Parts: sequence; C-alpha cells; structure tokens
Amino acid sequence: MNSQNRERLRGLSVHLILMTGVVISVFPFYWIVVMATNTSQDIYRYPPKLWFGDNLLTNIQHLFDKMDFFGSLVNTVIVAVCTTVLVLFFDSLAAFAFAKYDFPAKKFLFGVLLSMYILPTQLAIIPQYEIMVQLGWLGTLQALIVPAAANAFGIFWMRQYTTTSVPDELLDAARIEGAGFIRLYWHVVLPCVRPALAFLGIYTFIAAWNDYILPLVMLVNPDRLTLQVALAQLYAGHSTDYSMVMSGVLLSVIPLVLVFTFFARGFIADATKGALR
Amino acid sequence: MSSSPVAGPAPTGPTSGSDTVTTGQPAPDRSRRPERRGPRIRPVPAGARRGPRPRAARYWPQYLAISPYYLIFSVFMLFPVIFTVYLAFQRWDGVGDMQFVGFQQFRFLWDDPVFWLSVRNTLVIWVLSTVPMLCLALVLAVLVNSTKRLTAFYRVALFIPSITSLVAIAIFFGAIFSNNFGLINAILRALHLSAVPWMSNEWTIKLVIAALMTWQWTGYNAIIYLAGLQAIPSELHEAARMDGAGPVRIFFSITIPLLRPIILFTVVISTVTGLQSFTEPQVLFGSEAATNPNSGGPGQAGLTTLLYFYHQAFDNNDFGYGAAIVWAFFLLILLIVVINWRLVQRKERRP
Amino acid sequence: MDLSRRRFLQAAALSAAAAGATAACGGGSGSSGSKDSKNLTLWYWSGGLSDKVVADAKKHFSDISLKTSVVGGDFKTKLLTGLRAAQSAPDITGIKGEDIASFLPNANRFIDLNSVGADKLAPQYLSWKLKQATTQDGKLIGFPIDIGPCATYYREDLFAQAGLPTDPAKVSAELSTWDAYFKAGVELHKAIPKTFLINNIGSVFSMIVGQGTQRFIDEDNKFIGDQDHIRTAWTTAVKPYTLGIDAKINDNTWNAAISGGTLGTEIGAAWHALDISNAAPGTKGKWRVASLPGGPSNLGGSFLAIPATSGNPEEAFEIISWILSPENQARGFTDAALFPTAPAAYELPALTGGDAFFGGQKTIEIFGPAAERIPAAYEAPADAAVSAPYYSELTSIEAKGKDPDEAWKDAVSQAMQIAQRQGVK
Repeated sequence: MNSQNRERLRGLSVHLILMTGVVISVFPFYWIVVMATNTSQDIYRYPPKLWFGDNLLTNIQHLFDKMDFFGSLVNTVIVAVCTTVLVLFFDSLAAFAFAKYDFPAKKFLFGVLLSMYILPTQLAIIPQYEIMVQLGWLGTLQALIVPAAANAFGIFWMRQYTTTSVPDELLDAARIEGAGFIRLYWHVVLPCVRPALAFLGIYTFIAAWNDYILPLVMLVNPDRLTLQVALAQLYAGHSTDYSMVMSGVLLSVIPLVLVFTFFARGFIADATKGALR
Repeated sequence: MSSSPVAGPAPTGPTSGSDTVTTGQPAPDRSRRPERRGPRIRPVPAGARRGPRPRAARYWPQYLAISPYYLIFSVFMLFPVIFTVYLAFQRWDGVGDMQFVGFQQFRFLWDDPVFWLSVRNTLVIWVLSTVPMLCLALVLAVLVNSTKRLTAFYRVALFIPSITSLVAIAIFFGAIFSNNFGLINAILRALHLSAVPWMSNEWTIKLVIAALMTWQWTGYNAIIYLAGLQAIPSELHEAARMDGAGPVRIFFSITIPLLRPIILFTVVISTVTGLQSFTEPQVLFGSEAATNPNSGGPGQAGLTTLLYFYHQAFDNNDFGYGAAIVWAFFLLILLIVVINWRLVQRKERRP
Repeated sequence: MDLSRRRFLQAAALSAAAAGATAACGGGSGSSGSKDSKNLTLWYWSGGLSDKVVADAKKHFSDISLKTSVVGGDFKTKLLTGLRAAQSAPDITGIKGEDIASFLPNANRFIDLNSVGADKLAPQYLSWKLKQATTQDGKLIGFPIDIGPCATYYREDLFAQAGLPTDPAKVSAELSTWDAYFKAGVELHKAIPKTFLINNIGSVFSMIVGQGTQRFIDEDNKFIGDQDHIRTAWTTAVKPYTLGIDAKINDNTWNAAISGGTLGTEIGAAWHALDISNAAPGTKGKWRVASLPGGPSNLGGSFLAIPATSGNPEEAFEIISWILSPENQARGFTDAALFPTAPAAYELPALTGGDAFFGGQKTIEIFGPAAERIPAAYEAPADAAVSAPYYSELTSIEAKGKDPDEAWKDAVSQAMQIAQRQGVK
C-alpha cells in the first residue's frame, strides 16, 4: 500500500514540475494577450491588471495608424513562402543527386557543403549589403529571398532521407521505362520524400518568418518591411505605447503559433531526428 | 540496370556530430577507383554502379541539380566572407574610396576596450544562459521520459518557445522586466521586497537577456534529450536497478554517459547560437538615446560583440573596422567550439 | 571600387536564374517610382514634421502625387541605406540636426539646394542654422525645419508642493545656474521622495556641451574632447548623480516615469514638448517652461534635403519651401513643437499665443530670447561618433556605480581612439 502511495506521489510531483515548466513556457502568450487588451495606463498601474481587458480593438486601431500592418504581413508572407518553395525545390533536387548518383568530385562538393555549415551569416553581411547595392536589390524582398533560396542544412537533411526512403528498385523500374533525371525526381523521388519536405518546409518558413538581422540591414522603406523589423521599430524610442505594441506582437505571433500547433507532432519528431543524426 | 546508391557512408548516415565531419572529407582512396580508366560509351544511361565511370559531362543533370546551392553559396557567402577579410585591411565608409591600412584595424581592435567589453558581455550572457538551459532541459527530459501520460502535450508546450519570434519575445521581456511598471517588479512589491532596476543595472541586464535565451531554448533542448533518452535500451536501466542503483546513480552513471554525443551536439549548437546574440539587446536597447544608438543599454552592459559589429558597420559606417570585429569574433567562436569539443571528447576517453 | 564589376558579373548569372524563380513566386517588388517626376516620396521620422502641414502639402500640390513615409528605427542608418538603394531612395528626406555634419563629406549625394532656388530664400532664415548644412565650398544640402532652443520643463504642482518658486519668470531667475538648479532638485526630492530632478545625467551633459562654442573636434580637425570645456561639462553633469536626484532612466520606461510624476523637471529642446505631451497627456496643464540653467543651448533641429537621385529636384524644392514657409512653420510649432527657423514666424499669433499644455503659458517668452542667443559652435562630421563614449560612460556611472574619474578617463581614451579611426588628428 505504502509503496503504491509513494509511487503515486512521485508521479504527481513529476507532473507538477512539468506543469510548472509548461506554465513558464506558455505564460508569455497569456500575458501578451493581457497587455494587448488593456490600456497602457493599466499596464503602468500597480497592482497590474491580471485579466483580459476590452481595449484590444482600440489598441489595434492605434497600431494600424502607426504602421502598415497588413503591408508588413504581406511582405513577411511573400518572403517566407518564396524562400520555402525555393528551398524545398533546390534542396530536394540537389539531395537527390547527392543521394542516388555517383559523379566526379561529388565527395569533395558534399564536403564543402558540410564544412560551410559553420560560417555565420554575419561574416558575410557587409559584402552582401554591397552586392545588393550593385544589383539594385537593396530595400527589396529579393535581397532576403535569393540568398536564402538553398541551404546546406536542407540538402544534408534531404539527402539522408532520400538515401533511405527512396527505394532503388523503384528508380530502376522507372529508368527502364526511359525516365530521365528530372522525371525520376518528379515522379519517383518527390512522392517518397514528402514527410521530410514537410519538416524542411515548416522549418524554413519559421526561420524566414522570424529572421531579423538580414531584413534589418537590407530593408528600409516603411512599406517594404517585414513584421519583425516593423515591430522592433514600433518598440524603439522612449515614447512607447505598450498596449499598442503588444497588440502588434500578438497579431504577429498568432499566425505562426497556429501553423506550428497544426503540424506540431510530426514536426517535433523530425526536428529531434535531425539533431540525432 | 542497377541504380547507384552513394558509395560513401552507410545509407543511414552518420550518427553523431563527429562522424558528420568525417563524411565531409573527400575519401583518400578515390584515385584508385576505376574512373581513371577514362570514358567509354555505354548503351544505357548513366548511373551504373559497377563498371567504369564516364566523363563528368555525362552527369550534367546532376551538376545542374546541385548548382543552385553552389551558385548562391559562392555569390552570397563564399565571396562575401573572403571579401570581408579584404575589407578588414581597408578604411572604408561604404561610399567613398577604400584606403589600404594594413593591420591598423586589428591594432585598433586590440586596444579597443569596448570591443573587449563586448566580448566579455557575450561570454557572460552565454554562460548565464547555456548552463541553466542545458541542465534544466536534461531534468525536464528525464521527467517527461519517466511518465507515460500527457507526453505529447508536454512536447508541444515545451517546444513552442523555440518557434516564437525573438523580436516579439524581446519586447515582451522588456515589458515585464521594466523598472517602473514591469510584472516582475510588481510581484516583488507584492511580496514586500524592494523593486530591482532590471534594465539599468550592469548584471541584471545580462540576467534578463540570459533569461530570455533560457526561456526560448530550454524546451527545444529538452525535446532533443528526450529523443536520446528514448533511444537508450530500457534493459540497461533494468539491469542497473537490479544491481541496486538508485535513480540518481542511474542518471549519472548510465544516462549521462550514453547521452554524451547528444549533449555534445546541444553544447555546440548552444555555443554557436548563444555567442551570436544580437537581436535581444538590439531590440531591448535599440534606440535608447538619439545620440547613441545601439550602444547596448546602460553601461553598455548588453553590448554583445555582434551588436558592436552592427553599430560600427551600419551606424558609424566604419566597414573596415566592422569587418575586423566580425572576423576576430568568428575565430573566437571557433576556438570556443574546439575547446568544448576537446573537453567532451577527453571525458569520453576516460575509462 | 573596381571590384564591383566582377561582383556584378558573378551575381548577374545568379540573378538570371533566381529572378525567374522569384518572379514566378510573386516576390518581385514593383518599382517604387521614385524616378518619376510626378510621383515624389518624402521621408521623415515621427514628429519630424507637422503631420497636418504635410497633409496640406499633398492637397496644395495637386498635380503631384506626394507619398510620405514615416521611417522608424535609427533614421540616419535607414537614410544611408535608402540613399544607396536606387529604387528606394526618397525624393525629399529629413536629416536630423545631430547627423547633418556627418553627411557633409558626402554632399554629392544630395542636390545643392542653392541651385534650385534656396539662395533667394536664404535671407529669411537663421543664417547660423543654414551654415550647419553648408559645405566648405558653399553647397547647401539641407533646408532648416526647426531649431532646438533648450529650456527647463518643470511640474508646477510638484514645485509648489516642495515650496519652490512656481512662476516661470521667478524659476528662470532663481534657477539660473546649474548649482542652483541642482539645489532645488535636492529640496524637491526631499519633499517628494519618488520625484527626481532629471531623467539621466547624459541629458545634462549634452545641454552643457551645447552651451559652449566648442564641441569635441575643432575647425582644424583636431580632437579637443579632453579639454577643459568638456571636462567642466562632465563634472557638472555628474553632480546630480552624486546628489541622488538622478532618476537614472536609460531604457524605455521614460514614458511611465514622465506620466507617473517620477520626473519633476525635464531639460530639453523646444521639440521635446511634443514628447512630453504625447507620453503624458494626463499631466496637461501641470507643466511650465523656464530658461535653461547656465544659458541658452541648442539641441538638434533638423533639415529637409533632396537626394541626388531625386526625379524632380525643382518640384521637390517647391514642396520643401512651401512646407517650411514662415506661416507653415508657425503651424508646425503649434502642431508638433517645431521651433521655426524663419524669424518672421516669431511674430505670428501661433507663437505669441499661450499653450494649454503649459497652463496657457506663452512659451515664446522663454524660447524666443533663448533662440536669439544660441552660441554658434563648429560641428565636425565625426562629432557624433566621437561623443558617443562620453554618453556610454555616463550611463556606466548610473548602471554600475563606476567611479566618475575613471569613467572620464575611459571616455576620453575611447573617444580619442574613435577620433583616430575616423581620421581626426
């Protein structure tokens, strides 16, 4: 009896600790909603209001006066979607070549790809800025999309998956019917690697959505900013209207959290797989 | 017509970080391969595993397939990185002419107390965030692993911070740690403790930034550890329990050693990302004064090296100096990663 | 730079490949049309121009489509990027007073306003302000929006509570030196413990530097930031910290402090009135304006400029001179606290009338005489960069209790290093 009770107690305390972790994890979202639905004066007050207010629409009204929210949202979506589509296409194509073909200098090229993993973007950012000036792309969304259109991580990840999940027999069968590289890719490889593409897609989308330093450096026109840069600018300066800024934070965080929770389970499993490899 | 799977590593691929690097190196035995025999016309399309390899030209679809990455990489990464080296030896405001100055920028760097302050800040923030982050993550992972209920829920809830926008979270932390009206100070006041000027003290500024990073990445690391834990055969734990080992003993003598490759992975990742903190202080203290943008807050306590780099390059338009800062910093990161690596490896070799 | 061509070729190959992909994706950005002579864009920062005057300008120039953008973040950095981004460059842009000097060496990136008619209008405007935007060979790159004559803003109600004088004339007379001002601060803080005199010591430092005729670099491009005038400013600025009347606000909580009565006074330029009234609408009527201790000073005061890439410089200058006409400057003063640069405006009712936020006080009686006696100081292009360490070190004193003498030494040595990097002797 006693040991059973102790077992139960232990189980309970485990859940208690984990729940504390969960509360800390999600508390900011709750508090962002609290701040976004109250007035700034409520936020400054002591004791603070702990529950939702009814000022959200007014705050959003102020937000829309201060920034072109939908413009920024559209820009962010364009950047995230374009980057994701390009990455998925280029990375899976390259991964197919690396996984299923043997060609001269392949190992060398793949080695270059892996070792370049470690180069931080900041190391390249000044010349990148100059390149964008020369191309006339400074201040445009291409300046964000094109440099991110293919990446080493994605190729590595897709290669692993393609190697194991695309059966050679299937490729051979298609070859006998006369399929070339592109048709093999389109009709055989792509259907097989869909789960890996889903992970890479979400990962790329989130990274592009949240990117800050590159848009900060490359973008300038107020009507061509991404959400992250526009939000940070809203916050800057000592005359910050907190409830207005928080309504912006809220609106910018919602889409991503929704997208994520929708795909969460599969995504997390893949994310850990990526780490374990 | 057989297909041609990769001739290199096993199809499952490398299993840990160190293997990854070996894969990357060109195999030394390649010259002994039959490809040396030269091109030969064959009736079937490319890709035979046995038999001689044809010329590179036959593989144009494959080269074309991998070319986008290498093109983008060379234009937007390789060339810029090399050009940054060149820039570090110039004086350039981004508009006028470049002027070769030799090692002068590096001499400035060596004598620049603000650069060293920024390196110190970066390291302190990194330690303050990484150590609690990884320890907490391990504890959370063990706890989730020990229970069977609600695990899917825990995983999602713990993972969410890592996908949240850093800018949004920095604004949020700026609000709750605010000196005058922040939630944290309100709680302290409710407990009859004195308020802490979080955003204006040298150490608390670093604590706030570190807390932000810990909040964001603990769950992510926990999920990774969890996957590692689930890969440990349960018989091992059973056997240890049979031998009378308690949970703490099992944790230290079985779980930790078996998790070592994964711990190494998380340490390297948190080192590389943790040392590159930029957005947190930039958003928190971005334009704290019109006369002094991006100076990293009061006492420059939140001035990380990358923020200093950004300030020199894009506020002061001192591109040559910026290039010198960022290169020196990259070498520092490499050094720290290598030291980390060595430490973990050495422990591994111990019996 | 002759590397650009090689770079360009390298990248051109890529853009051919990528542009197709991006275009298919809809990511191509439409041209902003800044080369179009009938579509002009105007950049300024929040509060940099009167929004009402700008809105009227759009109506007034009906044959032109004037697109205005309020640029956030660090304006100078954004403008530098904008100037280099051919597609994004504005046709008219604001330049902040503290940044104008750093743009003078790159005057060729702007239209010489004298070539589009500014020379005819110049006599109507303050000559020392025009001089700030004039290069050594006589090119005028900016037309002055406003000046920043400084004053002490104080809470009349809190002063009364602490038994201090409340009438602006009396406050000006009694608090005419920095020491008298600090002494009043001590009394204020003693009477109302949560109220401090100043928000941070950096603001005092910038005021005192502005009261002098020399800054950090002299006309011969020599570093003088280690000399007595700066040292005195430093020592005076540190006093309120030592006296415990410094609120040490260096973060985003100024807003809450100003509305919550944490700050009993604010020292700042005329345009600072807008910051106060925006941040603390609830304190309307409680503020007054008095003369700055230690004499007049100028802080900021901005310009409008035309980038060289502008599609229609003549029309752009028409718009500038309309927005900055004495009448519209007077409206800018009422609407956005922009103190006019055309003395003709000082006689207009908008300036001579009372301001409700300041309890109906006629603030021109303080700002007017201050504006006339602003000392002219040479501001070198590297001045802002060189002065940065002084402000950082002052915050170090506030944030970590760093010894002021040690902070001074560090500030000077850092400033000298920056001066060296920026090519100052």
